[in-house]
Amino acid sequence: MKIKVTINGAAYEREVAENITLLHFLREDVGLTGTKEGCGGGECGACAVILDGRPVNSCLVLAAETDGGSVSTIEGEAKDGKLSEIQEAFARRHAVQCGYCTPGMVMSVRALIERNPRPTVAEIKEGLEGNFCRCTGYVQIIEAVLDVTGQADSKQEPTHA
Amino acid sequence: MLQNFQYTAPRTRAELHAILADRGPDACLLGGGTDLLANIRGGLAYPRIVVDVKKVEGFAGVAWSAQDGLLIRAGATINDILQDARVRSDFALLAACARDLASHQVRNRATVVGNVVNASPCSDMAPALLCLQARAAISSRRGEREVAFKEFFKGVKKTVLQPDEVLERIVVPAASAGARGDYHKLKRINGHDLGIVGVAICLGRNGDVRLGVSSCAPTPILVEDLHDSLSAEAVVRAAMKAISPISDVRATKEYREHMVQMFVRRLLDEVKS
Repeated sequence: MKIKVTINGAAYEREVAENITLLHFLREDVGLTGTKEGCGGGECGACAVILDGRPVNSCLVLAAETDGGSVSTIEGEAKDGKLSEIQEAFARRHAVQCGYCTPGMVMSVRALIERNPRPTVAEIKEGLEGNFCRCTGYVQIIEAVLDVTGQADSKQEPTHA
Repeated sequence: MLQNFQYTAPRTRAELHAILADRGPDACLLGGGTDLLANIRGGLAYPRIVVDVKKVEGFAGVAWSAQDGLLIRAGATINDILQDARVRSDFALLAACARDLASHQVRNRATVVGNVVNASPCSDMAPALLCLQARAAISSRRGEREVAFKEFFKGVKKTVLQPDEVLERIVVPAASAGARGDYHKLKRINGHDLGIVGVAICLGRNGDVRLGVSSCAPTPILVEDLHDSLSAEAVVRAAMKAISPISDVRATKEYREHMVQMFVRRLLDEVKS
């Protein structure tokens, strides 16, 4: 079937298989391989993108469902060769180790700070509870979110528990 | 690539009913897809046709009617109800169950209706809907009917729904508005996880107490005809009589029984204080 979808601000009109997920459409048809496949079942958040303003797991959305919609992926973050403020904060705070969860993590942070510009540590954990990281232990990721939201000197403890 | 199926997104109720009347046994309804697409990928569902209910006119969101109560339509997501002002002010128990369901990303897609039609014993929304005496408004080309949730679940993953029917909306009666309530869910981690045991409580303005229990029987369970004048021991006894937990990979029967007792006592203290 034919769908019309906006991806990172650019309009696409594509013929898609009815049984292809948004994740595989992005990676294989559009060629945007920044979005990663982890578990493929909605558990890990590696494939998180923003669909119509809300973060979702793209492995659990059919490309066909996004007809008429708008998608933001990690490729929309850096502009003109310059990292976004979230990516900068992740780099500054060493919030990346192997990097596989990072695209989904960054998209969840993007959605979180758009709905809540100064999240508490509890709110950051709630916003990122669907994004698993098996390397960092989360502390640096929470610090990166505090940093990018102007709370770097926060007294809140970014513990992983 | 997933197994082959056809995708269709009817725009009207009549179109949806016609598709289900013709192809019901081959069809799976698609709400948020957070269970269906995982099941298709895992080889647990083999639909020939996937019917998206989200684009049907009048199927989106949550509405309030002073006469009927809260209407949760088939396309309403878990986050839709969490963001609804009426839910936040008058349906504390619904919000408590919704907050404990999966992760933020999943809550953006998963629907309340999807969570109950899947009829998982560990459904997080069913305990609240049972306690609040909600009804399922079901329709098909043959007509409409309403079924109370205490009659809705028939077994593990089994409900009263026929292949040509759709659960169009959930009706939470206006009389349940303002009830005190909360949900305690035991999980392995303090985040996105399936429940090991879930207990919901609802204390109505007339003193009626109801419990909804998940993961402790083949279906979510309602324990009713309780009152806030009863002792905690009496309420615990009624709950223990109603449940029939099993030992499985997530917990033993004994641990589940113990946690139901703990949760009932804590919830009673909480809503009575």
